[in-house]
Amino acid sequence: MSRIIGIDLGTTNSCVAVLDERGQPKTLVAADGERTTPSWVSWSPEGTVTVGTRARRQAVTNASATIFGAKRLIGRKVNAEDVGWFAKLAPFRIVAAPNGDAWVRVHGQPISPQEIAAHVLRRLRAVAEEAVGEPVTRCVITVPAYFDDAQRQATRDAGQIAGLDVVRILNEPTAAALAYGAHRVREGRRLIAVFDLGGGTFDISIMSVENGIFEVLATGGDSALGGEDWDRQMLERIVDEVFDRYRVDLTDVPMALSRLREAAENAKKELSSASETTLHLPFLANDQHGQPINFERTITRDEVEQLTQSLLDRVEAPCRRALHEAGVEPGDIEEVLLVGGMTRWPAVQRIVERIFERKPSKGANPDEVVAMGGAAYAGILSGEHDDAALLDVTPHDIGIKVGDSGFSVVIPRNSMLPVRARKLFATTSENQKFVSIELYQGESTDLRGNRKLGQVVLDDLPPGPPGSVRVELVLTVDVESILSVTARELRGGREASVTIRPSGGLSQREIVEIINRRRQENSIVAKLPSEGGHIARVATREQAAVTPDDEK
Amino acid sequence: MAAKVESPLSIKLRCASWQQLATIYKRDLSRGTMFLKATSQPAIGTIVKIDLELPSASIVELQGTIAKHVADPQRGTGVELALEPLPTSSVWMIESALAAENQVRAQSPSPTAEAPPSRPATLSDGEEITAAEVELIRALEAEAESLRKLNPFLVLGVGYETSDAQVRQAFGELTKRYHPDRFARYKSQRLRQIAAEIFILIRDAYRRLADEKGRQQVISTLKPRVPGRAQTEPRGSGPAPRTGAVPRVAVPPRQTPPEPTPSSQEVPTNPSSKTAELAMTELAKGDSLVIPVERAAHAPTEKLTAAPKRTMSPVAEPVDASAIEALLDEGKLDEALAQYRQLAKRHPQDRGLRAGIELCEGLKAIGTRDRLEAAQRFEAALELDPSNERAARELAEMRRQATNERKGLLSRLMGKKEPPP
Repeated sequence: MSRIIGIDLGTTNSCVAVLDERGQPKTLVAADGERTTPSWVSWSPEGTVTVGTRARRQAVTNASATIFGAKRLIGRKVNAEDVGWFAKLAPFRIVAAPNGDAWVRVHGQPISPQEIAAHVLRRLRAVAEEAVGEPVTRCVITVPAYFDDAQRQATRDAGQIAGLDVVRILNEPTAAALAYGAHRVREGRRLIAVFDLGGGTFDISIMSVENGIFEVLATGGDSALGGEDWDRQMLERIVDEVFDRYRVDLTDVPMALSRLREAAENAKKELSSASETTLHLPFLANDQHGQPINFERTITRDEVEQLTQSLLDRVEAPCRRALHEAGVEPGDIEEVLLVGGMTRWPAVQRIVERIFERKPSKGANPDEVVAMGGAAYAGILSGEHDDAALLDVTPHDIGIKVGDSGFSVVIPRNSMLPVRARKLFATTSENQKFVSIELYQGESTDLRGNRKLGQVVLDDLPPGPPGSVRVELVLTVDVESILSVTARELRGGREASVTIRPSGGLSQREIVEIINRRRQENSIVAKLPSEGGHIARVATREQAAVTPDDEK
Repeated sequence: MAAKVESPLSIKLRCASWQQLATIYKRDLSRGTMFLKATSQPAIGTIVKIDLELPSASIVELQGTIAKHVADPQRGTGVELALEPLPTSSVWMIESALAAENQVRAQSPSPTAEAPPSRPATLSDGEEITAAEVELIRALEAEAESLRKLNPFLVLGVGYETSDAQVRQAFGELTKRYHPDRFARYKSQRLRQIAAEIFILIRDAYRRLADEKGRQQVISTLKPRVPGRAQTEPRGSGPAPRTGAVPRVAVPPRQTPPEPTPSSQEVPTNPSSKTAELAMTELAKGDSLVIPVERAAHAPTEKLTAAPKRTMSPVAEPVDASAIEALLDEGKLDEALAQYRQLAKRHPQDRGLRAGIELCEGLKAIGTRDRLEAAQRFEAALELDPSNERAARELAEMRRQATNERKGLLSRLMGKKEPPP
């Protein structure tokens, strides 16, 4: 049986890890010596795809066809608020797919975020295969705990497109805790908090670790808050300054925007340790008179901290809520783990220290720890590690529609998985023939703020006055977060049930089409003498990996 | 009482197969007797100690006295033993092992009957796995079935007087064994489903027992078996006062009040003949069709009123029952029972004594192999007197043994090297 790899598919960077011979997780190094791969994908005008660092380098010259941050789009609708923000400053086009999903347009061709993510996954798979010296077909992919079902499924679909069997989707903070705990076999119960501020998402998890049992007590976060927002705030400020000074709107100049983004991110990294740095961007663009703009500016940490204070403020409420829902006080937390590159920012560390009343630990490498946790989990799933178990929770309330737009929660968020809950409902009108039960996921008491998961209809109800007919609803969520619903009329015993397969936006047919298209492309390339051997091998393997899925 | 015989005989018996064990168990053990072939015939009344080794290498200790000499042409010459009641743990060990084996055997002639169309090619050991999966499914189903009948304390295998840490530890151990992730490498959907079922039972028990308040609530809902309630505080330090009829089902408070009456225009003039068209419109609207019912609708399943009413009358004079407990230690159940009964007559207010009666009955029930009766008696004893450690211990032991025995079975099926405990 082939081994299972752990993949951290990040907003800005991705990473892959496996268990070594001693059962310890280790990250794998790409041929170019890098432990993380930028989650960037670039298309040349001829259609050649480049992934990773090389794609990122092209961003300046090929800005409109170099995609980053696909994780912010995956499984999302184009009209979501944060997708709108992202689109405003992205140098590439974000368009609406027929079903309203957010896709990108590259050289006039619409491309789904799943496909973009698949390119990154394929690259990571290649890194893993090279490192372990055998074909890899199975993986655990981590996602932010706050991802909803559509985002999770879309991530699974990306894996399938990349020819990987996604054995399980794992929450990133949980993965971090697992990697952390894997090194420490300690008796006694420890409460830890995992503070995960990555490129595009923020997660907070409160966990207990005891004797190899990793139990998530509560989780929360903000699926649209991350380091890129810090960059964006800086970017916006500079774009405004350039406009004030030169009357040039840089958002119309993709190349300038790309350079600025890069410069802002670098400046932010420098300011994590220094208190002042200089932005130096010669020939950024041309002004109204066609004269080149040589932009140069000193920027201080204080200034950036002021500029981004509103972002920082957004982390506190989810932390407090998670603590409350876990039923613990900040003082009970024995250790705070920092995950994600943005936790290197001093102001972030300060606020963590203020909320949890202790200094966070900086032992683990925040960029790699998540992938390592994914590999550790793969070990649990394959039976290699049988002295550990992971108890994760539902990240969102699950309930049904009541009345016109009311939301009645059946499974509250932070319920340990797998979970089953029952609730009794009654008809509301005389001789009601059927009930239509609509299932939603989300935290809003108003239904419209939540995401519809599916519905089940129970018909042929016995006649009777309102309220006389009782319907028992049983919801089950398994460890893979698959929801199944059974509705039963209590007197006659009539039953209806449905298993809700979340949709990531792409149908199975669309996924297979993408795979086939790629297979064709590969076989064409394979005929070229220069690259023949390698690509043909990839194509065959992909075929092999994909076949079972076609049977589904 | 049996005559005093100085030197008890020690015998080791080994059951080579489960079939053999089943035969011995059905024919002999479950009737409290045992036939031993013997050329010489020791005196009647001789005490015999037997170590019975099960095919799983577990040892069951039996003890009996020689009741009569047998010269049966079919069975040969030998002695018949009158066995002491088997310890609960041994009965559970044998029965659960046999039950699981039966399940496996019943299934094995048609291994594919209920096996899902799995893809053995994806598993390391090829086709053999499919049969192993079927065995595993059977074993897990048996486990789920037995767990469903148990109260949360028994599910976790903890006593009624326990601590948060002990509950967590018990849950942790069960989690490592039964969490669905343990079964992720099996392709069989059914297998993973049944594992999830079991884990949900364990999880629910854990959730209810995780803290002292929850435990007291569960104890208060355990149905007392004994009619007529004395109004005394239990012996010993006693548990925290019960919380009374607190609802134990965690239903969140409703947000939407039930709608008063349907708006009249919703009801058609001839309700008896709703047309398909009307049904369609309702479906399309789908709006105010469902509302949550008051929680009271759950009442039939909740024994809210069954919790004993307890007034806080002063503690009755303490009764010294330590002498009886010594009898229990020696296994003299009938004598202990008689003494408990006598004392209980004199002190009708003492719940501890009545718990003692239940305890004796429970221990006797184990002797007659009535497991269910035994469990109910122990529960009744704890209901009367939650501080009755012996009853709690017996219950927990019943559970733990069954679980351990199954653990050995599961480990075997799952191809673990781990030896059975």
